[in-house]
Amino acid sequence: MIVPKRNPDVVWRLEKGMHAMAWDKARKDEEYEDIGVLTLMVKGGIHQLNLVGAEIWTRLNGINDVRKISAEVGELFGWEASETEEAVLDFLKGIAGQGWVTLNERGEGGSGPAWRPGGTP
Amino acid sequence: MITHLSSPVTVNWGITARCNFVCSHCFSRLDPSEELSPGEALRVVDVLAEHSVMFLNYGTGEPLLRRDLFPLTEYAAGRGLKVTMNSNGSLIDAAAARRIREAGFHSVGISIDSATPAVHDAFRRMPGSFEKAVRAARLLREAGIPLTVSSVICKVNHRDFAALVSLAKELGAHTIDLHNFKCSGMGGLNKEALDLSPDEWRRFYEAAVPMRDAEKGIDIAFDDPILSLLGAEEKGRLVAGSVCGKLSLYIKPNGEITPCGFIPVTIGHILRDDFGEVWHGSKVLEHLRDKAASGKCSGCAKFSSCLGGCTARAYAAFGTYDAPDPHCWVDD
Repeated sequence: MIVPKRNPDVVWRLEKGMHAMAWDKARKDEEYEDIGVLTLMVKGGIHQLNLVGAEIWTRLNGINDVRKISAEVGELFGWEASETEEAVLDFLKGIAGQGWVTLNERGEGGSGPAWRPGGTP
Repeated sequence: MITHLSSPVTVNWGITARCNFVCSHCFSRLDPSEELSPGEALRVVDVLAEHSVMFLNYGTGEPLLRRDLFPLTEYAAGRGLKVTMNSNGSLIDAAAARRIREAGFHSVGISIDSATPAVHDAFRRMPGSFEKAVRAARLLREAGIPLTVSSVICKVNHRDFAALVSLAKELGAHTIDLHNFKCSGMGGLNKEALDLSPDEWRRFYEAAVPMRDAEKGIDIAFDDPILSLLGAEEKGRLVAGSVCGKLSLYIKPNGEITPCGFIPVTIGHILRDDFGEVWHGSKVLEHLRDKAASGKCSGCAKFSSCLGGCTARAYAAFGTYDAPDPHCWVDD
């Protein structure tokens, strides 16, 4: 499973007022896609993500895999799980291409800590 | 994309107006304002952190002259701010470089205006300053601190910027900022001797932009809205025109807030006024965010992307925000 991780050099913040406004519009079935709610600074350039991008971005902690992120985002927006996962992966591949995240493969069993109880590190 | 930032991305803070140099172009040397106490400075950090400001850049005087620089920076970094500073480098020895790293500086900019030592020293009006700046840059890199080189483009160096870029690369800088000359403060008094003509600015950018676009070893940044005239706006530009009051604000040594260091118009005080109200409610900022075309900008096809160019230059030259940028080379 793919586990996305943010590039630590990307500085970002959620624009709280705009985030709330975009959610308000989403709940009223109004257009929210063109509202920037999360600001990122990357190598001197400044960018913004919309509500869906922001909900994905804020779940990238190096632990959550794409399936978990997709399930949570899909539930937020009331989307089908399979379609959401494809869309989330497309988004992540796009921002990985810009160097904002890395996408790492992890086995289904998950990766364990690099030590053994009672053993020598 | 509809953009509305909850607070500035960057706050430039003149933590001191004191300086051990007397540069010909300095915008703050004529500012007699007092500086905030250490306790007040910590409160400034609290205000900025509470408003989720991302970057805090110390500029104006020489930041290393402030005795509380390192504890202040440790506090700011601990509150989540990415702290940077611009320095002339003269006070950075190996011990200072270590302290800068330990304090948590995100990046440090060293001012170097020419790859020719005598030219730099004359511009900074300080013999030996080139050598000290280069030594500081090397010490910062040895200490593992991300480095930028900061240069003011003007009469003394506009034909020699390629050598500056080479020097910055050799020093290990990740970025060289080729700042355009501002005729504020001492820069206004020395405008005739230092500023380029509009045609010289055009020729400078026509030579420098292709280098920026081709260069792989270092980022070359201009931060000049007039680049729109060449269709050469910098990548990742979220707003049109000047960034002042849209992405950034300036805090003077005494705590007064202005749209930028080069626009001496006070719009509030960081410790006496509500920072959010200043950011969202200032009539001056409202004006800067919605400039009207005037003079030769009226009907100009480039206005929608340059928005009249640099507001600070227009204000310094003509006393109004909407006047055309005096560096603009488009014919009347």
